[in-house]
Amino acid sequence: MELIIDNLSKTYANGVKALQNISLDIPTGMFGLLGPNGAGKSTLMRTIATLQEADQGSIKLGDIDVLQQKNELRQVLGYLPQQFGLYPKISAEVLLNHFAVLKGVINKNERQELVKALLHKTNLYEVRKQNLKGFSGGMKQRFGIAQALVNNPKLLIVDEPTAGLDPVERNRFYNLLSELGEKTVVILSTHIVDDVKELCTNMAIINQGQVCLKGKPLEILESLKGKVYQKTIEKSELNVYKENFQVISERLFLGKPTIHIVCDTNPGEGFTAINAELEDVYFSEIFNVANTKSI
Amino acid sequence: MWYEIFKFEIQYRIKRPDTYVFFLFIFLFSIVGVDFIFQGSEMGLLKRNSPIVIAKTMGAITGFFMILASMIMGVSVLRDFEYEIESLLFSTPIKKRDYLIGRFLGAFTVLLFVFTGIILGMMLGEFMPWISSDEQLAFNAFVYIKTFLMVTLPTLFFGAALFFVTGALTRNLIVVYTQGVILFVVFLLTKAITNDFWQAIFDPFSLTTTSYISKSWSVLEKSTQELPFIDALLYNKLFWVVLGVIALIYGYKKFNFNLVKEKKSRRKQVQKLITISASVNSDIEIPKAKKQYGLQSKWTQLKEFSWFYFISICKQPSFWGIVICGMIIILVNSVNLGTVYGVDSYPTTYFIVEELRETSYFFFIIILVFYSGELVWKERGAKLDLIYDATPMSSFVRLAGKFIGLNFIYVVLILALISTGILFQTLSGYYNYEFQVYFNGFFLEILPVLSIFTCLAFFIQSLVNNKFVGIILLIVFSIVNVAIAVLGFDHDLHFFGGSSLGAYSDMNGYGHFLQPYLLIKLYWFLFGILLLIIGALISVRGNETNLIKRIRAAKYKFSKPLIKFTGIILFAFIIIGGFIFYNTNILNEYWSNSEATEFRVAYEKELKQFEYITQPKIVDVNLQLELYPSKRDYTVEGYYMLKNTSSEDIKSIHIQKLLEENVTIDSISFEGSFTTNNQYKKFDYSIFNLKNALQPGDSVKMYFKQSFRTKGFEQGRSNTNIVYNGTFFNNEQFPTLGYNKKYELQDEDERRDYSLSKRSTKAKIDNPKELVNARSGGDSDGIHFEMIIGTSKDQTALVPGDLLKEWTANNRNYFHYKTTTPIINFYAIVSADYEIKKEKWMTSSEGITEPVDLEIYYQRGHEYNIDRMMKSMKASLNYYSNNFSRYQYQQLRITEFPRYATFAQSFPGTIPFSESIGFVLDIDDKKDVDMAFYVTAHEVAHQWFAMQVEAANVKGQLMVLETLSQYAAIMVLKQHYSEEKVQQFLALQMDKYKEGIQQESKEEPSLALVENQNYVYYAKGAISMYELQKRIGEENVNKALKRFLEDWNTTNGKLKMQTDRYATTQDLLGYFREVTPVSLQYIVTELFEKVKPIELDL
Repeated sequence: MELIIDNLSKTYANGVKALQNISLDIPTGMFGLLGPNGAGKSTLMRTIATLQEADQGSIKLGDIDVLQQKNELRQVLGYLPQQFGLYPKISAEVLLNHFAVLKGVINKNERQELVKALLHKTNLYEVRKQNLKGFSGGMKQRFGIAQALVNNPKLLIVDEPTAGLDPVERNRFYNLLSELGEKTVVILSTHIVDDVKELCTNMAIINQGQVCLKGKPLEILESLKGKVYQKTIEKSELNVYKENFQVISERLFLGKPTIHIVCDTNPGEGFTAINAELEDVYFSEIFNVANTKSI
Repeated sequence: MWYEIFKFEIQYRIKRPDTYVFFLFIFLFSIVGVDFIFQGSEMGLLKRNSPIVIAKTMGAITGFFMILASMIMGVSVLRDFEYEIESLLFSTPIKKRDYLIGRFLGAFTVLLFVFTGIILGMMLGEFMPWISSDEQLAFNAFVYIKTFLMVTLPTLFFGAALFFVTGALTRNLIVVYTQGVILFVVFLLTKAITNDFWQAIFDPFSLTTTSYISKSWSVLEKSTQELPFIDALLYNKLFWVVLGVIALIYGYKKFNFNLVKEKKSRRKQVQKLITISASVNSDIEIPKAKKQYGLQSKWTQLKEFSWFYFISICKQPSFWGIVICGMIIILVNSVNLGTVYGVDSYPTTYFIVEELRETSYFFFIIILVFYSGELVWKERGAKLDLIYDATPMSSFVRLAGKFIGLNFIYVVLILALISTGILFQTLSGYYNYEFQVYFNGFFLEILPVLSIFTCLAFFIQSLVNNKFVGIILLIVFSIVNVAIAVLGFDHDLHFFGGSSLGAYSDMNGYGHFLQPYLLIKLYWFLFGILLLIIGALISVRGNETNLIKRIRAAKYKFSKPLIKFTGIILFAFIIIGGFIFYNTNILNEYWSNSEATEFRVAYEKELKQFEYITQPKIVDVNLQLELYPSKRDYTVEGYYMLKNTSSEDIKSIHIQKLLEENVTIDSISFEGSFTTNNQYKKFDYSIFNLKNALQPGDSVKMYFKQSFRTKGFEQGRSNTNIVYNGTFFNNEQFPTLGYNKKYELQDEDERRDYSLSKRSTKAKIDNPKELVNARSGGDSDGIHFEMIIGTSKDQTALVPGDLLKEWTANNRNYFHYKTTTPIINFYAIVSADYEIKKEKWMTSSEGITEPVDLEIYYQRGHEYNIDRMMKSMKASLNYYSNNFSRYQYQQLRITEFPRYATFAQSFPGTIPFSESIGFVLDIDDKKDVDMAFYVTAHEVAHQWFAMQVEAANVKGQLMVLETLSQYAAIMVLKQHYSEEKVQQFLALQMDKYKEGIQQESKEEPSLALVENQNYVYYAKGAISMYELQKRIGEENVNKALKRFLEDWNTTNGKLKMQTDRYATTQDLLGYFREVTPVSLQYIVTELFEKVKPIELDL
């Protein structure tokens, strides 16, 4: 089972080209979609989740034509959006039950078992009778993943799931996701490079509505092998280096800027070679595209 | 699947308190629903629970509470967006059909539950203790249920469908609020449809439909017959149900699960490319700005916030929606202005202002209620509240800024209304825009009340942590406030906001009402500021919503400058409140309703024994009256000559002073010795025992001195007799003889409560005690009158009689009047700054020609109909002196008085005529009847029928006085205008008669035995007399009246001189019968002695 996105495009009414001819083949397993804010990730996620129309192109999950057969897709879809709320005065158990019914788990006994198991899994069983209004950010997110999993989906879309979670919650979340079997297509969209690094077998980098790079993380790292160099410099020298080299990142270390550059040959001059990190790949892709951003 | 969603919706709403609050609200209101909707007047003989009344009440209540329907149905889909759960829901495999049906049915079920409050409330209302059993039919629950299903259910369905669909498609909460309003506006618009049938179909609440269906039913049928579900009612309900279905279908088609609402924009905006860099630009320095926190900064913040909130409301499309609705309503309704007797008045500014105020009031209230809630909740709604609350801004300054911003909105709306008014005047060809009047009419009369209630609204919203509940509380409070006042507790010191300003008159402006009004408004405004301060202190700031905790936290918010400010306001509030109290309760007496009632009961119980004791008659009145209009005072002194016209000795004379606090009798004395019995002093009733009893035929002089002093101001409507310009009062101000029946309690139920006997308004036609009275407590059979009256330098004073002399002394004007022929003891005293039009008319009888002075005293600027009035005076005097008898005085004066009262009245030789019923009428000779002409003719006729001949104070009295005057006036009208106009006039009378019948709660009397039913003696009388002269001939009727006058003239009537009694309808009908041929005698009986429905042959 594969999710095949073919030449998908979308332009908003105010002129913004959110998606420009996106084509991706996504197999089962974890797929990471990496990109900065405003890249088009959420637009793409919503379109696949049948909640938005596209101008042209197609999306197919196995035999299901996602854009034309929305209802068929929803039967096997789990969606955790970037931003969502919950009814305040209802308990987690009741709402999860409600979603289970809406998603087609009609049989009462089966449903009860399912709900119980999911609540346990997401560590919400203790608070299942509590009103959702009092849930913390992490608990809310856990509920979100519970409802996404309630119909044992074939396609799971999680849009920026760990933004705002503390490290413990984040780990918990990853563990949950990684348990999902081989039979599910999971698309994880994020701007946190670590998420992709830890979880994903396949990835793509998207920027300004276009796919910059796609493939397996390890293979991608290969492409930059031996080309990344590092040097600590003075603040006043920063601009000079920027003009002369392809600087892909700058950080502070003990008060002084440390820059990473990409260079085919050893630039010398105090630069040390380092192992390429996924972050370097990410930054180099983002700033490679002529350093322009459309508004 | 839809069942799951339906179940969920119901379960969700069961847990919400507002479901029950709405139900309770409707339930409680419905208990008194019938009374509220009908407000006593229109029911007449209808039973309180007749099917028609139930249908109308249910329809009206449904209409009022449509706003609740919009809140219940509109939020249904909207809620998923508000709680941001829509993306989770819409990505499940639910079908649009299931989702919409489930939500709709769930919400509709709850709606039905809430509205069953109407049935339960009304049913319970039948058993309320204050309803007497004869007002109702036997209790029948089935009628209620059936009416609910027939009348309310279809309307609810339509409303539910419409509101549900708009909520689902627009996903905007403001639209949900305002759609209830818009439906109400549509309802108001349907009222403007002139075709009755179509109006009945399009009326969303089927109020006019019910009237239409039952319009030809008799009163009995209306009381008992059930409303058939046929014809107009059926079509009406079908229409609205179909409309509802269409709305649902449309909504279904248009709705989709797309999250992002995409608006098609024509303009494709070009993408601009700009460069951004990855790193922080370390070359840019952030400048340091000074931060200030003192008083100056608070002032600047206040200005900034006021402007900010003002603009934010202006940007909302829903606001403009409400404004446009308001404009439409006003334009539709603005066609009739100051209509009197079917004739429009000139669009004088005060009429326009009053009209605009009345129609726009509702919209101001809507804006106040909604936007006060919106403003207080603005930050929380946008989820910005935490950021705002953490700034060092004073809560009070923020709240005050919102308050001022909303007031700016009112000002903008008022300016728009004024422009509309000026536009309307211009289009009507009237250019006398009195900007001062416009300004005062709005900024003085509406804006203060709005501001004060806005303070209250802000306070409630700050206190309560829920926008809906805040709105409801505000509405409930206002209703309770009005209800308490209606029950009698209406003192301005506790009636929130204070009462309204009195009417504006071109003659007297706002007069003496203005100063107390301003003081009371200031008092309430200070209170409003205190409310704002408290509101700011306890408002939610940050996350803490618990009220007790907020109150505790308030003391930390109470900064020093705020404490100082509060202290000043509180101090001023107490001082002004004290001053008002001093004026209303100490300088003047304030009586509560129950106190006044008990006084009257005591008066009757103790003094009624004196009602018919023999007393002398006043034969001479000689007084000096000093009038001080600018102080609203007067003093009068002089004497009455009292003559014993009975056949027994009179030992004591009973004198009643006018029961009014401002009037004091400084002294009374009699010729010869006398002693005073003050036993009944508390009723201002004194008994004077003469040492030497007054023999029959003898007279004694009674000297007295009385003064009227205005002190400070009174609570409520103070008297409008003595005003700065336009004084008008009559001799009932002066001491009268004996018991005065007018002080008795009139309401039958109240009389029963105090075990007083039934009071008839008019005595039986053969009651010997009243046959000798021409009016209640008749003190006199005619007087000679002489008065010297002084008034302020710029005014003219008028009383009956020839003007002997006119002079100025001590910077005041003096006038000396004296009558040459006896007049009745009922005369008017008038004083104002008048323009005068004088002409002469020649009266001739028995060869002698004498001039009569015709004078019209009017307010500058009111020249419009003076010529018509003058023409009518001449025409009437001609007709009446030619056909009835000679005019008895040497002058005939019309005097204008302010529009506080709307009548014209006849006194000997003087006709005071209200500002609003003739002077500013815009008479279109093509389509209107000349009412200025007619009313003048009617009043002049009273110089014959009321001055020359008086009628006994028994049943039928008013036929003699009023019906004959109507006849006389119609004859003059007929002589000078076309037959068409006469018929038009008669048609107007027919309408009035029908109206009167509807409101009659007892049996209609015949003309000959009429009591106080003015629709009989004015309207039916006019038509009947016209019919009589048509059948037996005008000259014959006139002949009868001429003889009647000759025989019964009070001063020299041939029959009158031989008896004590006055004429009755029995006498009058005798004269009619004398001139009627035998074959037509039955007409007299049918027209005047029987009660038959009248027909108009057109």
